[in-house]
Amino acid sequence: MLKNAAIATSVFMVTTTIAHAEDPYRIGITQNNVGVDSYQTTYESAFEQAADELDNVEVVVLDAGGDVARQIGQVRNLIQQRVDAIIIWPTNGQAVIPVIRQAHNAGIPVVVTNSKIAEAGLEYIAAFSGPDNVQQGASSAEMMCDALDGEGQIVQIAGQPGYTTAMERSQGFEERLAEACPGVELVETQPADWNREKAQRVMENFLTKYDDIDGVYAGDDNMGVGALNAAKSADRAEEIVFIGATNFAVGYEAIERGEYYGSIYQSPVDDAEAALQTALDVLSGEEVPKMNFFETPKITADNLAEFEKPVF
Amino acid sequence: MASIEQGKQAIMLSKKHKAGLLNFLSAQGILVFFLICMFAFSLFSEQFLSQSNIMTVVRQASIIGIIAVGVTVVIIGGNLDLSVGSMLSFSTVLVVDLHDKIGPAGAIILMFVLTLIIGAVNGFLIGFMRLNSLIVTLAMLSAIQGLVLIYSGGKNVDIANQSDTWFAFFGRGYVLGIAVPVILFAILAIIVQVVMSHTSYGRRIFAVGGNPAAAVYSGIRKNWCVFSTYLISAFCVSCAALVLGSRVMGSQNNVGQGYELLVLAGIILGGTSLLGGAGSIWKTIIGVLILGFIQNGLLLLGYPYYTQWLVTWVIIILAVWLDLANKRKRLFTTHS
Repeated sequence: MLKNAAIATSVFMVTTTIAHAEDPYRIGITQNNVGVDSYQTTYESAFEQAADELDNVEVVVLDAGGDVARQIGQVRNLIQQRVDAIIIWPTNGQAVIPVIRQAHNAGIPVVVTNSKIAEAGLEYIAAFSGPDNVQQGASSAEMMCDALDGEGQIVQIAGQPGYTTAMERSQGFEERLAEACPGVELVETQPADWNREKAQRVMENFLTKYDDIDGVYAGDDNMGVGALNAAKSADRAEEIVFIGATNFAVGYEAIERGEYYGSIYQSPVDDAEAALQTALDVLSGEEVPKMNFFETPKITADNLAEFEKPVF
Repeated sequence: MASIEQGKQAIMLSKKHKAGLLNFLSAQGILVFFLICMFAFSLFSEQFLSQSNIMTVVRQASIIGIIAVGVTVVIIGGNLDLSVGSMLSFSTVLVVDLHDKIGPAGAIILMFVLTLIIGAVNGFLIGFMRLNSLIVTLAMLSAIQGLVLIYSGGKNVDIANQSDTWFAFFGRGYVLGIAVPVILFAILAIIVQVVMSHTSYGRRIFAVGGNPAAAVYSGIRKNWCVFSTYLISAFCVSCAALVLGSRVMGSQNNVGQGYELLVLAGIILGGTSLLGGAGSIWKTIIGVLILGFIQNGLLLLGYPYYTQWLVTWVIIILAVWLDLANKRKRLFTTHS
């Protein structure tokens, strides 16, 4: 009896391997909000291109348009279609957990990409693939400390309140700054919603409020360049060190001109490729760690030449 | 006898006095509130009333102010325009993107033309087809957002060479020490105010908004009047896009998101009735400045900017209440 079962299993395994050799893996992806910014737009095209280059992969590419309800519907759809794996860029780290559990219960592995989901959902996912935003915040704090020689007064312009990436970067920045650089004081933090014009307005108010600002940490370069614009208009850009994250083309150029101290290089192409690779590793039965971070190095005038200018 | 007469007189006098106070509060209440706010903020922040801060606030408020001038005209004409936020995104992305492709002059002209076409579509649907303005412009709000994303492919647009372009003048320039956005705002506001209060065209818009049927019977071409208000609104949005694009030297696709509500808040705060037929540009300027100073004051005190939404809400309710109180001559109703 046991022997029969074993044979049956091995036959089953053989047939599935054969089946896989013939049928490609079908992987469905539901993204957060393509088109809302260049990063997400580039991510989508990089993902499609990476999948095109592989023979054994067929992808179903969906986009939730920032809408949680639509994203939940899309995951249900992918479960219905019996795809081999689902990649999700969560619109909301909490609200998508129930539907991720459904996929998990249906035997479909789920890979979360770019932005984490809440702790409670981790047991239902096969893996997370994305940038380590806490580490990015910490790296920015180290750059700030170097640039100011460990002493000064700085302000922070943070991303959208409630957005995981924004919170993790702030957290990483504030924690590392406090422990590695006690001489640098963070006097105020204001959100600017990843929006350059808002960041410019916030910075103008900071410049009025504080006669002495030595550094600005912005949650991404888009906002960092807004802050730089404001400081240039007020003729105070020379005395201020600007540090951002997610290096944008405008930030890259500002570093080139020497107006901007540094940023974190995070490529949407790496992000997309890492997500696809993680899903493939899971499908081929490899041991995949829960958290997979792709590399996001510091970028300053010293190593600028090693990086290509971002396309966004 | 004499004492009774005196008593009556005293009662009349106090009633009159009370009505006078109510009149004053409802007519100038928002101004009084504005001054109280300014005073309160200045107690907590010494920079608040500094010249440089006041200049910063007025400059920041001028983008919303420029749009609000146009929307006030639409509202006086008895309609609404909720599409201005998306239209601002559209015009800003367009002018910034075209700047490097066809040069600043061509970019500005093309941007004005295309924005006016959108305004004309709004005006045609509402003025000639007689469709409801709330629905038309709400639909336009999302339609234009889609158009922007299709046009840009979701990418941010930037002006490559930011230091040597005269395009910088509109958002960053100064004339006689006054920021150009403020000057543009002032010029537009004065022209539109004069047109609205001193020309027959202005009186027709008031008539159409106040009593459309009577306006038509007295020979006013209502369709054309309504149509023209949307052209004015689109023109103002184009001017605002010029300032915004030049100030930021780049644009995100959703840069104007939410502006329609900020503009409406400024107009309502100023005291222009959403029912049409009444209002003025001056009121709108005061409303927009109140919004600007509240946002700036809260930031200087260290509150995140979104606390202003809460504060704005309180002030709007207060403004609407005082307006109503004036019409019924008492603060609270006695019948249900």
